Amino acid sequence: PRPDVHPVSLGTHLVFAQSGKIEHVPLDGYKLKTEEARPLLHIPDRVVIAVAYDCVERMVYWTDITGPAISKASLSGGDIIPLVTKELRSPEGIAVDHVARLLFWTDSMRDTIEVSKLDGSQRLVLFDTDLVNPRPIVTNPAYGRIYWADWDRDGPKIEMSHMDGTERSVLVDKDLGLPNGLTLDADNQQLCWADAGTQRVECMDLHRRLRRNIVEGVQYPFALVSFGKNLYYTDWKREAVVGVDRHTQTETEEFLPQKRSRLYGITTTPTQCPQVFNYCSN
Amino acid sequence: DATQGTANDCQPCPCPAGATCAIVPSTREVVCTNCPTGTTGKRCELCDDGHFGDPLGQNGPVRSCHKCVCSGNIDLNAVGNCNRETGECLKCVNDTEGFFCDRCKEGFYGNALSTAPGKRCKSCSCSPLGTVDRQTGCSQVTGQCECLPNVAERDCSACQPGHFNLQSGNGCERCNCNPIGSTN
Repeated sequence: PRPDVHPVSLGTHLVFAQSGKIEHVPLDGYKLKTEEARPLLHIPDRVVIAVAYDCVERMVYWTDITGPAISKASLSGGDIIPLVTKELRSPEGIAVDHVARLLFWTDSMRDTIEVSKLDGSQRLVLFDTDLVNPRPIVTNPAYGRIYWADWDRDGPKIEMSHMDGTERSVLVDKDLGLPNGLTLDADNQQLCWADAGTQRVECMDLHRRLRRNIVEGVQYPFALVSFGKNLYYTDWKREAVVGVDRHTQTETEEFLPQKRSRLYGITTTPTQCPQVFNYCSN
Repeated sequence: DATQGTANDCQPCPCPAGATCAIVPSTREVVCTNCPTGTTGKRCELCDDGHFGDPLGQNGPVRSCHKCVCSGNIDLNAVGNCNRETGECLKCVNDTEGFFCDRCKEGFYGNALSTAPGKRCKSCSCSPLGTVDRQTGCSQVTGQCECLPNVAERDCSACQPGHFNLQSGNGCERCNCNPIGSTN
């Protein structure tokens, strides 16, 4: 065991990045067990931006803009495994498809949306046009789709496509500011985003394309993750993780880590993978 | 290692005041785990993202961490705006470039540091027909494109007086009007 890699007990955790470390907080129902918050990984010379989780192999994936690199490590401890280290400039969003075993990321300097297998092999640029500041990206394994947001000051938008890069289309391009965070509630097919420009957290029903405000007047959200009826976002101004109840549309919790600095990506580590039919397995 | 039974088993963390530390067993390396506000790194020797400096003075005098200095030509919603040690700006916007985003980038001209309203850096937009080798660059200060013979205007879009045929792409030709039969 390495003291800079702390194995995580079973159960769902929130995992988030703060400067050169990745922290985790156990969830007890919807309540954060803040007294049990621990660092999962120390990467002191790196600036970690986005984190994602593979529920099958219980691995945490992350991007850092210092390497720049995309790496992974097991939730139960172990070495850091670099996956992509070449032809990266500013990788800021990352998403895992646990069914098709794919890794997707955005790069805001190459202005690309890219995909590879989970080991970083068979890399492919899906899109390199009409992208200015692409940041968050999420997968929808059941439908074979990806969604991403671009905080282009002159035209912020949320887009989607199939995972093979076909059928790209704009999902939202009105009343957006700086959509920094994006997450999918796969059970209800709700896509939610956190916007540091409009200072709102909103959700959209992907079937009916109906938008709904969840909370207004948030300070400076950076990343967002859905967990059951709750959403959790990291906030640059509050330097905190904030919990929001989607149904009551109220803030339920705030977690301030001991170290005061900006928080970046956030994800959850569900104990069981969502059951999804894999068309590619036939 | 507290189990060796000597007075030196436990040593103070080699970290600035208040920071805790841990040892990586495979390398015996000590890593600070709770650096003072604004700093990070194995020894708290680095500045947080969006800041630069040399808080421990590892490469010269101590420089505490300051926000990136990029002439107002960075976007504060971006990450990695400057090099955390040197302060070199890495994500210039408003069509600027340079260590401090202090110059207009290739193909643009103006004053990257201007506080006046309007665009600091404007596109050269050189007229391809009137410009040498159809260049897209221009003087970064005046915006003057490099014009073909007898071609005028900042963007090389017109012939000098008494000349015609900009369309040739080789510069303008003299009109050769007979002064006796011409009105001016």
